[in-house]
Amino acid sequence: MSPLARPEIVTRGLPPTRPAWIERATSADHKSVALLYLGGAATFLVLAVTEFVLMRVQLIVPDNTMIHPEIFARLLSSAGVTFAVLFAVPLALGVIGYIVPLQIGARGVALPRLNLLSAWLYLLGGAAIYLSFLYTPPDGGVLALAPLSDTVFTPSHGVDAWIAGTGLATLGFVCFAINLVATLRNMRAPGLAWRRMPLFSWAATVIGYVLLVIGPVMLAALAMLMVDRHAGGVFFDSGEGGAPLLYEHLVYIYMTGIYVIVLLFAAGAISEILPTLARRPIFSHPAVVGSLLAIAPLGLLAWMQNMYFAPLNTGFGYLAMTMALATAIPVAVLLFVWISTLNRAAISLRAPMLFAVAAISTMVFGLAGELAVSVIPVAWQLDHTTASQAATLYVLVGGAVLGGFAALHYWLPKMTGRIAPEGLSKVALGTIVAGIHLYAIPMFLAGLAGQPVDVYRYYEGTDLSTFNLIASIGAFVLAAGILLELGALAWGYRHGPLAGHDPWGGTTLEWFALSPPPPHNFDAVPDVRSAEPLLDIREAVRRRTEGWSGPEAPGQELPREPVGAPAGAPDAAPDDEDRSVS
Amino acid sequence: MGLPSDKPPLAARPRSIRWALALSVALAFALAAPAEASIIGPEAPHSPNAGDMSTAYWVMLVVAVLVVLAVNAALLGAVMRSRAGRDRVAARETAGRGVVTRAVVGAGALAVAILVFGVVMTSETRSVEPSGPDGLSASNARFAQVGIRDAPPVPPTEEQEAEPRAPVVIDVIGQQWLWRFEYPGHDPSASPRFSYGQLVLPVDTTVILNVTSTDVMHTWWIPSLGGQVQAVPGIVSQTWLRADEEGVYEGASTTFSGTSFPAMRAWIRVVSAEAYRSYVEQLERDLLEAQGIVQEQVEQGTGPAGEAP
Repeated sequence: MSPLARPEIVTRGLPPTRPAWIERATSADHKSVALLYLGGAATFLVLAVTEFVLMRVQLIVPDNTMIHPEIFARLLSSAGVTFAVLFAVPLALGVIGYIVPLQIGARGVALPRLNLLSAWLYLLGGAAIYLSFLYTPPDGGVLALAPLSDTVFTPSHGVDAWIAGTGLATLGFVCFAINLVATLRNMRAPGLAWRRMPLFSWAATVIGYVLLVIGPVMLAALAMLMVDRHAGGVFFDSGEGGAPLLYEHLVYIYMTGIYVIVLLFAAGAISEILPTLARRPIFSHPAVVGSLLAIAPLGLLAWMQNMYFAPLNTGFGYLAMTMALATAIPVAVLLFVWISTLNRAAISLRAPMLFAVAAISTMVFGLAGELAVSVIPVAWQLDHTTASQAATLYVLVGGAVLGGFAALHYWLPKMTGRIAPEGLSKVALGTIVAGIHLYAIPMFLAGLAGQPVDVYRYYEGTDLSTFNLIASIGAFVLAAGILLELGALAWGYRHGPLAGHDPWGGTTLEWFALSPPPPHNFDAVPDVRSAEPLLDIREAVRRRTEGWSGPEAPGQELPREPVGAPAGAPDAAPDDEDRSVS
Repeated sequence: MGLPSDKPPLAARPRSIRWALALSVALAFALAAPAEASIIGPEAPHSPNAGDMSTAYWVMLVVAVLVVLAVNAALLGAVMRSRAGRDRVAARETAGRGVVTRAVVGAGALAVAILVFGVVMTSETRSVEPSGPDGLSASNARFAQVGIRDAPPVPPTEEQEAEPRAPVVIDVIGQQWLWRFEYPGHDPSASPRFSYGQLVLPVDTTVILNVTSTDVMHTWWIPSLGGQVQAVPGIVSQTWLRADEEGVYEGASTTFSGTSFPAMRAWIRVVSAEAYRSYVEQLERDLLEAQGIVQEQVEQGTGPAGEAP
């Protein structure tokens, strides 16, 4: 590479003066920060899966005494926060933090140090929860519902670790969201109007605002809980005029928000992957944007859907039911647009496409289940049983795990210049899909037979034995698939085949950058003239190289030739410098 | 469904989709056919409100199964048909405004239909029905629908005034990890009438349950006799039931309440009206006797005896 061609990149040649891990921990480059998030998310996914498998081992047979009830309560309390708060959200934020600035043609982020701080807070939060394993792990349940989580009933400091860890991570998410919204509002490439903004960036925008709403709510709830525990507070103490239901409201607002974020993240990623790998534009860009914008407020306002059984005024129940059913409309529009995009397309069944299709298929199972339990009388029987939990898990595994893996497969070449092994990934995908159905369907039936969530045992002589046995086998298959897929991604990250700068023929600006992108992302940011700027750039390149006998016409090239640099820039050819981000 | 020819044709509509829809309808009805207790349904209802919940469940199951099958068939069908071949050229067209509007209207119509159905079924579930002919002091008192706090009871009709009968009202009190039941007329010292674990109720009689908790959150739930009610300390939640058959019905709490949470089970034993009356009288006699023994021992200084039966 000639330094004269890209003068801004010269300083990259200087030898690093500090160890790599200090560089990684202190670099305010949004890509490095995003890799912190992704590394954390992968780690906590492994931990959540481990805890999940242990709990399912306990539930293989009725009246099992293998895992002590206290240990089970700790596994349960840790697994919930690990999966939702330490895995699902950070995975979304990691992909967003890496890709969105590239996608909007920004050379950095608006508040890079706040962004770095957010990753630190998140990792500290995770550490706070897992360091408590040295004394007492959290044991207040998945939600640490008051008054159970008060010191009277749960004196252990595990709950304090849970509060501190969840609070630190949530504070991190809020910092991240501030930077994300500021970046998206202020740093888009010239010409990249809102209506032209890529759909994943749209999803990121909405996620940013959702975090700005739910983060402070949860922080307030946790602060009150901490005051109740250690400063004589009575926020949630009914005997002293406090309201236990208040905590339930606040924590469900947060959890519903996380659910919405998972849905939005998966929707954003799928809306990028499908058009690219189906070689046609998304069926309706404005419809997807409108759906993303609608899902956030409607979905959040349906938080009381989890509390139909609580002593609420009936009007609130009807409000929640209305909002939950209203959320179904934009979700249906998304499904309609995705399926229409796949029709009359030329789909290449590469791993990102397969994962995206599997994510849609899996999420539909859960969303249909949610549709059923949004009806109050149905929820009175099925909520808080393994039946409604199965529906929730379909959406969370479909969205965060399958949708997340789809996004990682799609953008891994951008992050590392390498592609994840396709064969292994397809095997892992099959395993995950088989596992989730093998787990969720028997759990649904067990819930119909009356199995509550969160139990460490069920009793001999009920129908539950067969269901739980099959579900446990399904859980092991699911866990094996997830670990296999993580292995495939990890292998691809370091050793996968080189992919070039634009392996999928993408249409958005991140494929205009090199893979991996230099610290400043772009040497030159192009003027954006449409929602698919890379098509314009390819067209321009084609026109400039008219004499050259290249591919015939745009739209017929399969795959399209990669364009990794500004039109006419002298160094469009891939250079052989080692580009692994570290 | 035909589309105007000037609009981009929707490829998601061909025959295979219709076939998939027809197949899914057939499958859904085949699945939903056994309306009684079945592996894919909730436990057999034995109370009108549980019956309403069961009806709502079966309807929504059919809707959910249809949605799953239709969307998956359309999705996989599209992927299968549109795989890239050597000369396959992807269409470039996008939706006109009308197409998306139609999708919104279609989904909205389904959502509104479910909403109306949900409100009707919720109302049905919550309206307390009078006791039947075999019930204890059969009551036709029409309460305000339970679940509405601060709403005044609906005044009784003339017919009801002529024959005033009250439903049986039981206090259900959760604590870690046990339910306590206080029967009508309970008075701690004069006439104690309470039991733990198992609630005995008369058959065919309208029963109002006042559910609360003395420590953490619990859920009162006997699937065959009604839905879940959260027991919140400091708040009384109400539910009702009218068991149609004698027998023992089991349920469990669904709110995590600490280490021994799975032990938080509950039973309702439904007996005839006479058996119920004599059970409560026997309960009171036994408790008074036990209290007498304890009192005696305390006076003699031999220390407290065990808990009442």
